[in-house]
Amino acid sequence: MLSVGVKPSTRSAFMLTLKRDLLIAFKRKNDIVNPFMFFVIVISLFPLAISPEGERLTEIAAGVIWIAVLLSAMLSMDSLYRGDFEDGSLEILLLSPHPLFFLVLAKNIAHWLVSGLPVVIASPLLAYMLKLPSESYATLMLTLLIGTPTLSLIGSIAVALTVGLGSRGLILAVITLPFSVPVLIFGTLAVQASASGLPSGGYLTLLLALLAGSLSLAPLTSAAALRISVS
Amino acid sequence: MWLWFAKLGSPKWFYELSTKWLPWLVVATVLVIGTATVWALLFLPPDYQQGYTSRILVVHVAVAGTSLAFFPLMAVAGTITLVWKMKLADMVAKNAAALGAWFSFITLATGSIWGSVSWGTWWEWSDSRLVSMLFQFFLLLGVVSLRSALEDTDKAAKACALLSIVGCINVVIIKYSVEWWNTLHQPASPVSLQSGSANGPEFWIATALMILGVYLFLSVSLILSTRNEILQRERRALWVKEMIAAER
Amino acid sequence: MNQITESTVALGAPLLEVRGLCCERDERMLFAGLSFVVECGTVLQIAGSNGSGKTTLLRILCGLNDGYDGEIIWRGESTDDMAESFAGDLLYFGHRVGVNKILTPLENLRWSAGMQRNVNDQLLLDALEAVGLRGFEESPCYTLSAGQQQRVSLARLRLSPATLWVLDEPFTTLDVDAVAQLEQTLADHARQGGAVIVTTHHKLSMPSVSRLTLGVN
Repeated sequence: MLSVGVKPSTRSAFMLTLKRDLLIAFKRKNDIVNPFMFFVIVISLFPLAISPEGERLTEIAAGVIWIAVLLSAMLSMDSLYRGDFEDGSLEILLLSPHPLFFLVLAKNIAHWLVSGLPVVIASPLLAYMLKLPSESYATLMLTLLIGTPTLSLIGSIAVALTVGLGSRGLILAVITLPFSVPVLIFGTLAVQASASGLPSGGYLTLLLALLAGSLSLAPLTSAAALRISVS
Repeated sequence: MWLWFAKLGSPKWFYELSTKWLPWLVVATVLVIGTATVWALLFLPPDYQQGYTSRILVVHVAVAGTSLAFFPLMAVAGTITLVWKMKLADMVAKNAAALGAWFSFITLATGSIWGSVSWGTWWEWSDSRLVSMLFQFFLLLGVVSLRSALEDTDKAAKACALLSIVGCINVVIIKYSVEWWNTLHQPASPVSLQSGSANGPEFWIATALMILGVYLFLSVSLILSTRNEILQRERRALWVKEMIAAER
Repeated sequence: MNQITESTVALGAPLLEVRGLCCERDERMLFAGLSFVVECGTVLQIAGSNGSGKTTLLRILCGLNDGYDGEIIWRGESTDDMAESFAGDLLYFGHRVGVNKILTPLENLRWSAGMQRNVNDQLLLDALEAVGLRGFEESPCYTLSAGQQQRVSLARLRLSPATLWVLDEPFTTLDVDAVAQLEQTLADHARQGGAVIVTTHHKLSMPSVSRLTLGVN
């Protein structure tokens, strides 16, 4: 039996929040499936709009996959704090006796596990359909593995800032997309480099630096943004 | 120092002080911009490669340089808003975002006019400065649109303050990553900005004057719009009512 | 302007003290110079007409809203300086009750009560039974009525280790029995040395209730 009545450790509050968000995600599968389907469909549209020729597809593959990732991440982000804001759980979160940094991080991780990770896993398949050279699959997956959490963490700030808005429209996109430029640049450069047989380690390091930076700063900023939105 | 700081936070104090200073600032702005314009248009020798087009660079360089000041300005104002809850800082920041978007737009516009002659194209992705200015423009528009979306003044102030601070950091990261991106996709511009441009002493004097003038103009517009904002937000304050009554 | 009628017996040191609280919202002064003390063992009812700032006051007290001037002292120290220990000793029940509709009552409580103290399922089930939700533990909350959802959130009262309860309109959708039961819970909490701040239009039928009326101009 647990030690009843004692204030739970921050670690257990972190795990509770993570589990709760994963549970909600599994019960509300639409929130996971739709952004993923969006990702797959957008990518399937590019060959139709541009050309079925392998060579031209190879050239654009990295960019197309990355842009689709950006857009679908943004669509899925919208639900990150919305439900909690509307039903009042956010107030419980803000008033809990734990550093908000870790709770926000838990929510971000849960969100990435259900929205970012499937995209990373499915990326080789889509890369194959876009005729990306097979040598680049590993690099593509690595860039996505490092890049999508960064996008989630940065996007979380904008979601937190706009969560109280009745009619958000596309304001989330207007705020978030410019922020994702560095991730997009280094992600695509790495894949393009590996596709032309060049080393991509440098870009991966830069992506890692972006991830480290946003991992330490973004949850704090999201927490501050949530406090503003709830006030 | 602290007393001065606290005093500066008072909208009333700012309003009264700016009433005294504004006429002088306006005169100075008109004089400096006027001199720089006359200089640029009448005395600047045509560039040996670009002819008279190089004259727009005087405006372009000045506006571009000034527009880089907006995010730091907004980040500082945002920090003051969040830490000291000073309302005046937010009134300045609110107008700075919109003004900054205009400055970025004018930078882009003058840049592409110049580019249309020197590069033979209105838009050139291979110039990293244009690209990062474009994204600064987007970021500033983002702040403006967040401000207009949030109805509660206080909430909007804090949210925009936070976004400005994050945006300020991001502008720097974007700038460097775009530069990096650019060096890898070999720039194909026919003429780079430095090589063929008119950088004789006359050009730099005119540009320096213009930079000073644009900064003065920026201060005047910021002060004017802040005064507007003060009147609107403090319309229920006694001193505003008395002042309006006195003017009638 | 604001009047407070003291009818309490101090059971201990002042728990929460408010000094010179002012709040302006949307260019309207909600309250100014508001001062009061909440002691252990008391129930403070905040009254006032709609729009008089009751909810805002509660949110300010909890630290959800920082748009105010004045001081809030928690056990002798400013709440700013001891946010975490304050949060551990505070339970807030708001207009939005904090119940996720897709989760079951049990799953909801596991998180919302578990943030403040370690709980096990038996404790949660007991609390749910006490608020009359036996048999609904495993039903998704969207199948429950508004009153039942509110009870899920009120079950937190029975689990929370907090000394101070801040409740915003906790009676609204409850039926007669549940109202009586909640009143009993509040009275018990006060008797055990806790303190309650509650907004309601409902006439509280319990001893030792002090009233603070907002917006009496």
